[in-house]
Amino acid sequence: MIVTYNWLKEFVDFQYSPQELCDRLTMVGLEVDALEEIGGELDSVIVAKLESVEPHPDADRLTVCQVNNGNEVVQVVCGARNHKAGDLIALAQPGSVLPGNFKIKKSKIRGQVSLGMLCSEKELGLSDEADGILILPQGLTIGEPAFAALDLKDFQIEIGLTPNRPDCLSIVGVAREVAALSGKELKLPVPKISEADISIDNRAAVSIENSEGCPRYAARMIENIKIGPSPDWMVRRLEAVGMRSINNVVDVTNYVMMELGHPLHAFDYTFLHNHQIVVKSAQQGEKFTTLDNQGHSLTSEDLMICDGEKAVAIAGVMGGLASEVKETTQTVLLEAAYFKPTSIRRTSKRYGLHTESSHRFERGADIDMIPTALDRAASLIAKLSGGQVLAGSIDCYPRKLDNVSIEFSVNKAKALLDIPLERDEMKVLLESIGLGVLAGQDLDTLQVKVPSFRPDIEREVDLIEEIARLYGYDKIPVTMPTGTVDAKLPPLRQLMQKTLRQAIVASGFSEAMNYSFVASDSLDKIKIKSDDSRLFQVKILNPLSEDQSVMRTSLVPSLLETVSRNLNYRSTDLSLFELRPTFLSQVDSTQCIEELSLTAVMSGQREPEGWSQSPVAVDFYDLKGVVEEILAKVNILNISFQPDASQPYMHPGKSCQLIYDKQLLGCLGEVHPEVLSNFDIDQTVYLFELNVENIIKLSGNHAQFEALSRFPDVKRDTALLLDESISAAQVMHIVNKSKVKFFESATFFDLYTGKGVPSGKKSLAIRVCYRDLDKTLTEAEVSKSHDKLIRSLCHQLEAEIR
Amino acid sequence: MKERLQQLQEEALSELRQAQDLKELQDVRVQVLGKKGSLTEVMKGMRDLSSDQRPLIGSLVNTLKNLFEDSFASRQLELQQQDIAAKLASEKIDVTLPGRRAMSGSLHPVTLVTDEVNEIFSRLGFAVAEGPEIEQDFYNFEALNIPKDHPARDMQDTFYISDDRVLRTHTSPVQIRTMLKHEPPIRIIAPGTVYRRDSDITHSPMFHQVEGFLVDEKVTFGDLKGILTHFLNEFFGDGHAVRFRPSFFPFTEPSAEVDIECVICGGDGCRVCGKTGWLEILGCGMIDPAVFDSVNYDADKFSGFAFGMGLERMAMLKYGVNDLRLFFENDLRFLKQF
Repeated sequence: MIVTYNWLKEFVDFQYSPQELCDRLTMVGLEVDALEEIGGELDSVIVAKLESVEPHPDADRLTVCQVNNGNEVVQVVCGARNHKAGDLIALAQPGSVLPGNFKIKKSKIRGQVSLGMLCSEKELGLSDEADGILILPQGLTIGEPAFAALDLKDFQIEIGLTPNRPDCLSIVGVAREVAALSGKELKLPVPKISEADISIDNRAAVSIENSEGCPRYAARMIENIKIGPSPDWMVRRLEAVGMRSINNVVDVTNYVMMELGHPLHAFDYTFLHNHQIVVKSAQQGEKFTTLDNQGHSLTSEDLMICDGEKAVAIAGVMGGLASEVKETTQTVLLEAAYFKPTSIRRTSKRYGLHTESSHRFERGADIDMIPTALDRAASLIAKLSGGQVLAGSIDCYPRKLDNVSIEFSVNKAKALLDIPLERDEMKVLLESIGLGVLAGQDLDTLQVKVPSFRPDIEREVDLIEEIARLYGYDKIPVTMPTGTVDAKLPPLRQLMQKTLRQAIVASGFSEAMNYSFVASDSLDKIKIKSDDSRLFQVKILNPLSEDQSVMRTSLVPSLLETVSRNLNYRSTDLSLFELRPTFLSQVDSTQCIEELSLTAVMSGQREPEGWSQSPVAVDFYDLKGVVEEILAKVNILNISFQPDASQPYMHPGKSCQLIYDKQLLGCLGEVHPEVLSNFDIDQTVYLFELNVENIIKLSGNHAQFEALSRFPDVKRDTALLLDESISAAQVMHIVNKSKVKFFESATFFDLYTGKGVPSGKKSLAIRVCYRDLDKTLTEAEVSKSHDKLIRSLCHQLEAEIR
Repeated sequence: MKERLQQLQEEALSELRQAQDLKELQDVRVQVLGKKGSLTEVMKGMRDLSSDQRPLIGSLVNTLKNLFEDSFASRQLELQQQDIAAKLASEKIDVTLPGRRAMSGSLHPVTLVTDEVNEIFSRLGFAVAEGPEIEQDFYNFEALNIPKDHPARDMQDTFYISDDRVLRTHTSPVQIRTMLKHEPPIRIIAPGTVYRRDSDITHSPMFHQVEGFLVDEKVTFGDLKGILTHFLNEFFGDGHAVRFRPSFFPFTEPSAEVDIECVICGGDGCRVCGKTGWLEILGCGMIDPAVFDSVNYDADKFSGFAFGMGLERMAMLKYGVNDLRLFFENDLRFLKQF
């Protein structure tokens, strides 16, 4: 909502400066988004007097003028013909910037110096009048800025209105707030109409068939009008509040709407069949063309204004093309009505027709304002277009809306707001915004009658808000709540997410956040097959674009996209993760499962580039180490990594599943080269996905202490010659299961194939550590255990000692 | 004999002094105390001495031997220190070469800010709660006093999944879900991802919010001001003025917007605060009785407040990030800065 400073002043005589006014409006809940001076940039255009006007010696069409600017007389060359010595004119001095970024400079025109320009109305943005310069009225002060002298200076104030305040969708409504703030009186317009002898009743009739949708419909008629442009003052006003001038009738309806907040519509009377208005619901499928030349197919929920034959307007939203006011219009029927907010809103949404009118009706217009708005508009139309207002008005009001009356507890307001106001002080505050307040049954109670312009006030708490707002939020004390605190530790879910994030960041990964919505074909790029449950995507009905049309069921495509983008930015060593939900639609599709996934990718060099180390590319085992480390942090140990070729986006020979206690925790591996090329990635990428929900279920354990031995350990190394197909996990499984005496731990320390190892075989070296809690082990004790372990390995794996 | 010993002492000590390295020093020791060393020879000759001479000379020999050993030790230490000093002098590295660092990771700035907000409120007794991102219309709108066909729905452009399911437009539905499960007193903070159908330089269709609320007996608007002022001082540091001004949210009444004195310009007016000197940072208010009705709380007995803030905005102000889109582009050069 845009208002202007001067327009507000017509209704309330406040003393605030424009900035002060804006600050106060903001602090009372009408947040000012912008304050702009109208004409302020034209302060260097001043009132000046033409001392002499001589023909240009070298140009027939030009004149050389001596201009008194209040300080001195300067010479200006001018091409107009309507000026003479003694005229007051608007002089744009060098340095001025006129509308359209037209910069005025000192110049020479055909050999004559010109220190500025004499302006036309068009050049000043005042009108389209470009024929001749603007001759100002005598009596203005020479040297004064022209706009100020002409009283054209104003301030445009843009208010970001909240939807609960339809009353402030007008100058008068905002003025009411200013009146309350400043303690000055609100002066409402009192329209005076001189009516013709003929009564409207002889010329038109109104009936309401749907009184629920339209509780009140009033009309007036103006005859013998002449359609033409509106006067400048009105054009400027409308433009200042963001509206375009159309003609002297439509402009009046808009002007009164801006002034009083009530939307009006003018019909060309000749095009109203039977000269009759019927308010009723549309026929299902009925066709209608609005005045923006758009065709609509209506539903029976739409409320229509009809004549004796057909629809002429979508009630409260937009008029029809056929009956709109045009140049030939001589008689208008002026409508001022009240329509049910929800009905207008539905219709407006249905056809995407958001108009100044629908905006007000759907928020709640002021039903009691109808006669005033109607009279104000009728008198203005008569004045601007030379017509006569017919006697009387039609006021069809089948459903009287009762004003709301609220019992208000002073003590309740005092307690909730923690303010020391007494009953009478609250009464004054409520009355200042036009509410009717009576003392209630006891000292605690006020009886408040809410006028129709405040449909947002329905309950006691609405009045408490008014008290708070008018009293001033800044005066309410700052306190801390007393009372009990039942603070528990953050829930496990939160805690686990935090732990996982910290663990993976400690492994050198950076956290990414991608949009939850992706293109519906994003899974194609990672080769997901048609039987995969991840294809059960949740679809957004109204996505911003096809690329953001379904909720992701996997974080993999987005992260690979992220890798690709970073490679384009020349970041080649990448360790990235996301810990975000995936959204899986269920078969019946009314439910959706949101599961947290921790997905990470790793690519490039193992260590940052440096002066002392040669670059080594990361591989599967780097990322595997990260997974092991992260899971260890949440006390999930001894995970089984099982070879798995089922993930379509993984390298079949270099990927595995993570199993713990028969539960699938996720997968890990090298990304399939075809998938990489789908994302234009030209370096190997390793990836893991963990199902965080399963991890949360398994967690909750914490570390258990094991006693420390004070005696030295003994290590034994043995290289085993194994068949290539035997996995390290098989070896370790036997080692752990054999439970030889004094066994403490075992690690692999070498893997070798090549010279000296027969083909089809590999040499895997294991280091076993023995220790006892109570004594130092002897060679014999260790040998006995170790020999037993190696024998067992050789036997079960058909291995030899190398 | 005495003279002989005197001479021996002078020679030995002189040679000790002249030894230039540890090997030479060792040689001196062998010359004096070795099997055929000069002092050893003297000691061997002791048995030829008369019994009255022997103790006297023996004592002199011992003194000499001790003197030699002490001198040897001190010269040895001196030479060792010389050796170490020489070695150290020859060893030098360029300490300005960069250290060898492991790959360092980083949390997303939104996560960092979320954690910080959670921590501040948890010190005030607030517990963290969560809710689904695909939400039922009831929790996202209806129960929050935003009926269908109400203009307040225009305040939040919504992504729809179906007629009655949406991508939550705020984390406020967590308020409803929690209140339906728990009786007052209750203090909850609910961070999370939210979605609005709006995308331009200053709007992202996905962003993050923290919702918080407190319900108890006799909670006042002053308490709301107290908690939020405390929070803002903790988060941005003391000394920034805070102002509350009237606003509208369907689920709170009275409602307020909270502005903080611009943390960039200190209130003088700059590009970030649009020359106003104030930054809009929070929406809040006293929980509307209609909301209490929808969760079956007794609005006559309990009162409470709720607040919500955008975490990207908090992160932008805290870290001076000037472009919202950076949060979701995941440029490593951006992510590594936090």
